[in-house]
Amino acid sequence: MRKREKMISLLLACTLPASMFLTGCGGSEAEDGKIVIELVHYKPEAVDVFEQLEEEFNKTHDDILLKIDSPNDAMTILKTRFIREDYPDLLGIGGDINYSYFIDAGILADVSDYPGIADINQGYRDILEGLEFVPTEGTYGVPYVANAAGILYNREMFKEHGWEIPTTWEEMITLCDTIRGEGILPFYYGFKDTWTCLAPWNSLAVDLAPADVCQQVNAGKTVFADEYREVAEKIQTLVSYGEDGPFAYGYNDACTAFANGESAMFAIGSYAVPQIKSVNPDMDIDSFVTPGSSDPDGQILNSGVDLQFCVTKACEDEGKKEAAYEVLNFLLADENLQMYLDDQSAVPCKSGNFTLAPNLDGMKEYITEGKIADYQDHYYPSEMAVDAQIQTFLIEQDVDAFLTKFDTDWVRYNRDIIQMVKDYNAQNGNQ
Amino acid sequence: MKHANDRKRTFLLMTIPVVALFFAFNTLPLIKGVMYSFTNFRGYGTYDWVGLRNYIDLFQDGRVGKSYLFTLKMAVAATIVTNVISLILALGLNSKIKFKSTLRGMYFIPNILGALVVGYIFNYFFTYIIPALFNTTSILASSTWAWVGIVAVCAWQAIAMNTIIYISGLSTVPEDVYEAGSIDGATGWERFKSLTFPLIIPFFSINMVLSGKNFLMVFDQIMALTKGGPAQSTESISFLIYNNGMAGGQFGFQSANAVLFFVIIVAFSVAQLQFTSSKEEQL
Amino acid sequence: MNDLKVKERYNMPVTILLILGLITIVFPLYMTIVIAFKQPSEMTNSISGILSLPKTWSFSNFAEAMRVTDFWNSLRNSLLITGVTVILSVVLHSMVGYAIGRNKAKNKWYNFAYLYVVSGMFVPFAILMMPLVKQTSQWGIANIFGVIICYVVFYMPMNLMLYSGYLVNIPIALEEAARVDGATTWTTYWKIIFPIMKPMHATVAVITALSVWNDVMTPLVIMSGSGMNTLPLAQMSFQTQFGTNYNLAFASYLLALLPLLIFYIICQKQILNGVVNGAVK
Repeated sequence: MRKREKMISLLLACTLPASMFLTGCGGSEAEDGKIVIELVHYKPEAVDVFEQLEEEFNKTHDDILLKIDSPNDAMTILKTRFIREDYPDLLGIGGDINYSYFIDAGILADVSDYPGIADINQGYRDILEGLEFVPTEGTYGVPYVANAAGILYNREMFKEHGWEIPTTWEEMITLCDTIRGEGILPFYYGFKDTWTCLAPWNSLAVDLAPADVCQQVNAGKTVFADEYREVAEKIQTLVSYGEDGPFAYGYNDACTAFANGESAMFAIGSYAVPQIKSVNPDMDIDSFVTPGSSDPDGQILNSGVDLQFCVTKACEDEGKKEAAYEVLNFLLADENLQMYLDDQSAVPCKSGNFTLAPNLDGMKEYITEGKIADYQDHYYPSEMAVDAQIQTFLIEQDVDAFLTKFDTDWVRYNRDIIQMVKDYNAQNGNQ
Repeated sequence: MKHANDRKRTFLLMTIPVVALFFAFNTLPLIKGVMYSFTNFRGYGTYDWVGLRNYIDLFQDGRVGKSYLFTLKMAVAATIVTNVISLILALGLNSKIKFKSTLRGMYFIPNILGALVVGYIFNYFFTYIIPALFNTTSILASSTWAWVGIVAVCAWQAIAMNTIIYISGLSTVPEDVYEAGSIDGATGWERFKSLTFPLIIPFFSINMVLSGKNFLMVFDQIMALTKGGPAQSTESISFLIYNNGMAGGQFGFQSANAVLFFVIIVAFSVAQLQFTSSKEEQL
Repeated sequence: MNDLKVKERYNMPVTILLILGLITIVFPLYMTIVIAFKQPSEMTNSISGILSLPKTWSFSNFAEAMRVTDFWNSLRNSLLITGVTVILSVVLHSMVGYAIGRNKAKNKWYNFAYLYVVSGMFVPFAILMMPLVKQTSQWGIANIFGVIICYVVFYMPMNLMLYSGYLVNIPIALEEAARVDGATTWTTYWKIIFPIMKPMHATVAVITALSVWNDVMTPLVIMSGSGMNTLPLAQMSFQTQFGTNYNLAFASYLLALLPLLIFYIICQKQILNGVVNGAVK
């Protein structure tokens, strides 16, 4: 009997610290009646800016308490919180397929009554609209910043050799030949990390395929075998100007190689600049739009919403929407947005006079003119693993097999969405 | 009689609460998970029942089929490599050697290094060092040989744990067994085969099951080394279940995959356990 | 006497082979340490560059890694979770391992319980994840406590196998002797069997601690939003979508490795002591 008591006390002894701990960390209630707005975003790399913004906001607002959470792996955290029906008030997410799913799941509130939305560049608002599976009444996100993908180049090296920025596909090829002729590697690829295959793919696809190609395929109007053939052939050509066996090297290898001057160009997005600069802080990087088309005016910048803010339904239902808008006003204020841009070298979605990072010089014109189109992979379901399919294609070099598989897989992975589109069209077709 | 009752009651008291806890946090969620496999659930939001559609799709999905073959091939190879090496290592570390504690400590390290470190170092090793030494291309870039690289890294990491289990198994072998053996003149391989090994058979089967299970569920090493590539040649079952189910939008379908996978390994290992436990009794 | 002396001698060939084998561990460890001391600008793709010693031996990476991960808080959480899980596992799993292990050969219910629990090992975590997230939150344990319970359940199959495997070599006569002295089964277990299983306790403690220490997924999904970090959770911040700071990450992983290595060395002594005790008896 004595032993048993001992055992129980031992058990208690080891659970006790745990339960004491629990009481210690509970309690996220608002003090002194302030409205609490919780913002969860998926950019842990921007945690320092967000902390600054949070502090600044709370200093200037007596009625609202802003809490910004910058978790790692925010998408998993958000999904698990949704399972628990524990919704934050504001989400900071990307304009990708998760956003489409969140709208479809009815998690987001309509923000078309938000006055600030009028200041947002129309191009980015259209990109968000395009991400809805079926046209939905209302607006569900306020685009904040964008990123742009194309070709990064070593400006110093280009100056030294007198190379010109290409404006057409033909010039691009001539440039690659010239660079190679001088004994320098034109491109360095990191295709071991499959997602990097999407960067040249997307930036060619915006020039060569219609922006709404996925919706068109869903509606049964066309097939990828027709729309993507040129993209597939041109990406093959571009890859031939890279290092030998690009499938052995990862994103990190490619960033390091480019930073150390091992290649003249790197087909990737502006998002890679911080990683490159960590290796070579003094490097002068600029970028240009991938010239996929033979028409100099036919090039389009590949740019997508990198960070947007969405108000959740739960926040609206609790009557906190006005407070959430107040937070949005603050975040979108020119000086605060500029602070974010400086820190993350991002592209603003708001129209206005902002200072852009020097590595975006070559793309500035397209941004101000709104000649932009979204990353096509934002419409691809992630489980279809298009990045891996492109990698497979580049290894096996079989255009037809790749395109055929693309079409069959597309139907298989998008079955529910295609059905949804069909139902929608059947309902609205007669009107 | 009184004693037999006490024994029975105590055994029940020891078992029931713990098994009940197990039921609540393993079986109960499993039942719910099985339920999701009949839906087109995405992990959140609303969903519809789709009947057996996910299971039918499963058998028609070439990618899933390929992942089963890859996982099996990899798991069998890694299990054999790991167990052979760790058994040898355990015998070595258990014999009368100098620096015993230090050596045991060092051989434990691969297990504690995080996946990020292991991934980076072995990527470097396969991408730069091996090709430079042997003048070849990286095996991780070859869709025929990438799996060998994964087996090597999995084994490298897993050997530490299996060695610990073998060492603790060897510690149950009484010293007098060896003394009796050396009087009989049994040495080396003979002694191992006829004396040591039979005594550690339970640990051998535990290690087979544990390493087999760990390798069948391989995920971290794949993410760290190849992320399923090149040309989708190293997509393991867990890789698909996690990436497409959790991170992607195929939660319902991948739940069906998980259920199928579970049923297959359970059938396989229960058979193996029954087999080895009948062997144990014979001894 | 002569025989004893021979036995005391070290087996040098084996020692030398084992030391040679260490290359497979020392080399990666060397790379880890060197990278942990370097600056990002010292990273190259050439072999000589990566193997070279850092320009300066400064602990700034370690200090920065500790700041980023909020090291002491994360360490405390990790230690708490791992420690409580290990204690509970040793107590509960050895107990159930004993009850099931002693009965499974004769009683089909215990044999069933054994197979039932062991087969739980093969449930892919991905399938349990979402239901567990919901369940823990409904039961009000979406916190560190829930994480510990989950671990105790997750590692039960493995530990049950280990304990009942170990029991095979423990003669039942020991218990019968105690019974003759009038001890109940319960006291027999705690007084005789539990101490005898010490080497296995050490093994179970090490393996369980190892799995818990490095695990990311369970705390990530169960405690998400609670604002509490374990070390592996905090270490995720070195890896963002488009960039990884390997130098800081490696420094941080080296720091995280130490507590577990120390724990292992302590437990290792127990496994060795167990052998000596067993031999004396």
